Amino acid sequence: MLLRPRREDHLVIGKYTGKIVIGIGLLMVVPLLTSIVFAEWDTAVDFVISISLCMAFGYGTQAVCRTDRDLGWSHGLVVASSSWLVATAIGAMPHWLSGHMGSYLDAMFDVMSGYTTTGLYLMQDLDHIAHGLNMWRHLLTFAGGQGIVVIALTFLFKGAVGAYTVYVGEGKDERLLPNVVQTARAIWLVSLVWLGFGAAALAIAGLALGQDPVRAVLHGLWVYMGGWSTGGFAPQSYNTFYYHSVLYEAITVVVFIAGSFNFALHWAVWTGGRREIRRNVETVSFAITLSLTVLIATFALAKAGVYSDAMVLFRKVFYQLASGHTTTGFSTIYSRAFVTQWGPIGMLATTIAMAIGASACSTAGGIKGIRIGVIFKAFVQDVRKSVSPENALISERYHHIRDITLSDGLVRSAMTITIAYVLLYALITLAGVLYGYDFADAVFEGVSAASNTGLSCGVTSPSMPEGMKALYILAMWLGRLEFMSVFALGGYAISIVRGRR
Amino acid sequence: MIVCMRYPRGVLLVLALGILIALSPGHAFASNGAGDATPSSSELVESPEEFDGDVISFTGEAIGEMMTRGDMAWLHLNDDAYRDRNVEEGAPLGGYNSGMAVWVPVELTETIATFGNHAHEGDIVRVTGTFNAACPEHGGDMDIHASSLEVVTPGHRVEDPVHPRKLVWAVALSILALGAFLADRLRAHAEDTQGM
Repeated sequence: MLLRPRREDHLVIGKYTGKIVIGIGLLMVVPLLTSIVFAEWDTAVDFVISISLCMAFGYGTQAVCRTDRDLGWSHGLVVASSSWLVATAIGAMPHWLSGHMGSYLDAMFDVMSGYTTTGLYLMQDLDHIAHGLNMWRHLLTFAGGQGIVVIALTFLFKGAVGAYTVYVGEGKDERLLPNVVQTARAIWLVSLVWLGFGAAALAIAGLALGQDPVRAVLHGLWVYMGGWSTGGFAPQSYNTFYYHSVLYEAITVVVFIAGSFNFALHWAVWTGGRREIRRNVETVSFAITLSLTVLIATFALAKAGVYSDAMVLFRKVFYQLASGHTTTGFSTIYSRAFVTQWGPIGMLATTIAMAIGASACSTAGGIKGIRIGVIFKAFVQDVRKSVSPENALISERYHHIRDITLSDGLVRSAMTITIAYVLLYALITLAGVLYGYDFADAVFEGVSAASNTGLSCGVTSPSMPEGMKALYILAMWLGRLEFMSVFALGGYAISIVRGRR
Repeated sequence: MIVCMRYPRGVLLVLALGILIALSPGHAFASNGAGDATPSSSELVESPEEFDGDVISFTGEAIGEMMTRGDMAWLHLNDDAYRDRNVEEGAPLGGYNSGMAVWVPVELTETIATFGNHAHEGDIVRVTGTFNAACPEHGGDMDIHASSLEVVTPGHRVEDPVHPRKLVWAVALSILALGAFLADRLRAHAEDTQGM
């Protein structure tokens, strides 16, 4: 039986959604300062307008929704999903005001793509945009990678008891430390330390490659943000192909693979457990599935004779596949080259890698390595049971921070989310086919959007149908939040209309 | 009819043959005066095998920066809708950027003065060189190894003034945000006072 939410429920959801939107407004101060430093006055005004909107909405909502009640489980899930929608709608303002977007929907597409660390974009004339706007594009994907709720938890929630539910609602469930706010701060600590090293390494590489110091530093920072968040945004339309450098590629590979690892794994290594990298079910699963998909693509491309040299072939295949598997979306080939050079098998291998995705509780998307590992272990357990005596006790274990014995509950939970992802992939592909795109292109692009990868074979473009843009926004949102909080928001909306008092 | 009466049949046959040859796949793309093909970046990306190893001529806006590697350098030339005028200058939106990477001797690049970015529309540059669908020398990148380069049109600085209407909105919304902030603080203060 559905219960109609009471006034207090609306107030608590409004209050915390307002806090998160205030967080988005505070985040926009960074691109505002960037615009001022580079004397981009029109862009600076765009950010003043957008910050004011965030603050007016956030504080206005807080003023209206005053309550001492803490977040319940369902409130947390609804706050997580609704705040992503509101943050997208308001966060799109600087994009739209820049004049580089075809419509407000296009602007929302880019912002949802940023928050969800997807990396697909509809921005036009990217190569001429202001530094301030480029800073915002990369900052929002960096913030989205840690989770915009994590930001608010870090700075604005001040230890609310129910904060954990909002954190879970954003698709993260690891507690690195006993307190969820401390966990959020630990996630930021890990990301900022990596930011220091990663951005510095890329900036030095940029200088060595012939960039001037200012551009080398900015590109280093932005490419780091795009890589660590597994977002895949880059400051030039050529993406990482722009740098023509094996060194730059190698640094980005290290950054995006590190970004795709579970924050719990980072924390374990941080606190001295280096063996965790070799033992963790997610890193093992990632290594196996990446190797298999690289093998398939290498075989197909070698047969097609696209790349004349073995090392060149491996470099191209490994980079695109590692980028796809970690759901980053950095690319050193043209989007259409997936169709015109890589062909169906190369695209299939990339699609499989994107669909699997990287680690849970990381910046990455997709089904996630831990679920693939659990399902594989369950399969092995069933095979062992079927060939063992009837009364034999067969158990399987996997290692994730600690040794965990496989239970039916764990397997069911992994299967539920995996099936939800597969259904999402199928539906978004069907939508693409119904809109008239080739099946291979529709699968590739649909999986890329829903797994929050951002590699494109050319389907995503400013001229694609508005319905497809809206569906891709929905797919990116569902994929990033891992369904439950979006379903909770749907349930909340239905209960407002049909619930009993 | 009149045309048929004025020109002999042989001439018409030659004309028809010429048109057929021009429309055949091998000649489907424009060429410059020297006979080199002048495909666009979209055509190169869509049909890389067709042009692989060919000497082509390519014209586009020099974008970003030149990245020097010893005696050679990387350039990026955009031949998109923003080649002559970008969005800040009022160009209508015309899709994504598109262009080609060019590997060129540094000495040829000395005439390039302006590279395109938010504050500049870059020089429009024409290069002639060999197109590689997957260059073995450069990690399989699609590129053009240029042997000649000329600046066709010099670039210029782009003014992007603040729009007065935006300023009005910025002031109005800032006041609204300040009002909302004060309302929230005052209500919180009132509740604290009542609680005491």
